[in-house]
Amino acid sequence: MMIAGLTDGLEPVRAFNPRDGFAMLGLASLAVVAIVHLTKGLWFDGLGGTATPFFWLANGLILVLGLAAAATIIHMASPWVGNRHETPVWASAMVGVLPITVLISALSHNSGVVDLTDEHALGCVTASIASAFGVGGALVLWLRRGAPVSPNLAGWFTGIAAGALGTVYYGVACPTDTMAHLGIWHIVPIIISAMVGRLVVPSLIRW
Amino acid sequence: MIAEEATFARLMAAAQKGDKTAYNVLLSETGMWLERYFRRRVPPHQLEDLVQDVLLALHAKRGTYDPARPFLPWLAAIARYRWVDHLRKVYKHESDMLEDDHAFEDSHEDVVEARVSLERLFVHLPKKQAEAIELVKIEGHSILEAAEKTGQSESSVKVNIHRGLKKLAALIERAE
Repeated sequence: MMIAGLTDGLEPVRAFNPRDGFAMLGLASLAVVAIVHLTKGLWFDGLGGTATPFFWLANGLILVLGLAAAATIIHMASPWVGNRHETPVWASAMVGVLPITVLISALSHNSGVVDLTDEHALGCVTASIASAFGVGGALVLWLRRGAPVSPNLAGWFTGIAAGALGTVYYGVACPTDTMAHLGIWHIVPIIISAMVGRLVVPSLIRW
Repeated sequence: MIAEEATFARLMAAAQKGDKTAYNVLLSETGMWLERYFRRRVPPHQLEDLVQDVLLALHAKRGTYDPARPFLPWLAAIARYRWVDHLRKVYKHESDMLEDDHAFEDSHEDVVEARVSLERLFVHLPKKQAEAIELVKIEGHSILEAAEKTGQSESSVKVNIHRGLKKLAALIERAE
């Protein structure tokens, strides 16, 4: 009886394709970068070559973390016994080296890095989290279309992906390129975003 | 005889394109596969409801199947998800004996079926958590009865159920 009803109501559907998820993420990313450019203005001088090597290193590692977590989220929309979702964990550990490096340097007597705060810290954290909402929203929409079977894990990873990508997208407009600023204040938004993701996202994607 | 992986995958790919005949066969075969899958982990009178629940989930989420991958691991992930959800909701005091049916293990199950079975989830649980869940959530004993049978306190049984279900939920895709 139920089978007959479901069969009668069958409509063709678009089969799962990760490329759709990446396209959605790409559009959201473009929108966030455009908003950052319109409101703050991209740091063209830095991007053109005046930025310190640590600017490229920090943003590069955070970008890899964001992409790894986002790719995992995109694949989590299609459940499968045998899936492994460990990449964002290792990528997080990799990025965790940045604040540890800063703290070790700060504690070192021979280091020039002593003051861990700066006047732009709070603004950077706030703007990065605001940028994360754009990326996170797209990932949540994608998961809601899918069938994630590990909502708590998906919550963590959505927060990490959104926080990391949001930080990088705002980071290209941030002219403060010291090791202390990038290693601490561009990591804090990722941690906050991950916690928000864990708390908020599971209830939005349960099915 | 229940269809094999390749047949399931072919039927599902056709169903995604709107082939109603293929879909009807797929749902019937999937229903039989699920009955066998759940039989030893769900009381008999709840079996049909759970199978229907999974079929409805399959229908609602049929777009999430990737035709490039095998079908049964996808179905098993959805079945495990709905089963853990079912365990969370179910709390009954009547004790129903589970069918002593070993069809799942005795049949010519292939490697894929063995890897996606519910037993693979339970082996990852500590013994006390598995016992508490089996007695209360699957066999339908009360907390008090489960405490007497296992020698745990009532609060320990409750904690073990809570922790065990949380762990099962986290293992849905990983345990194979």
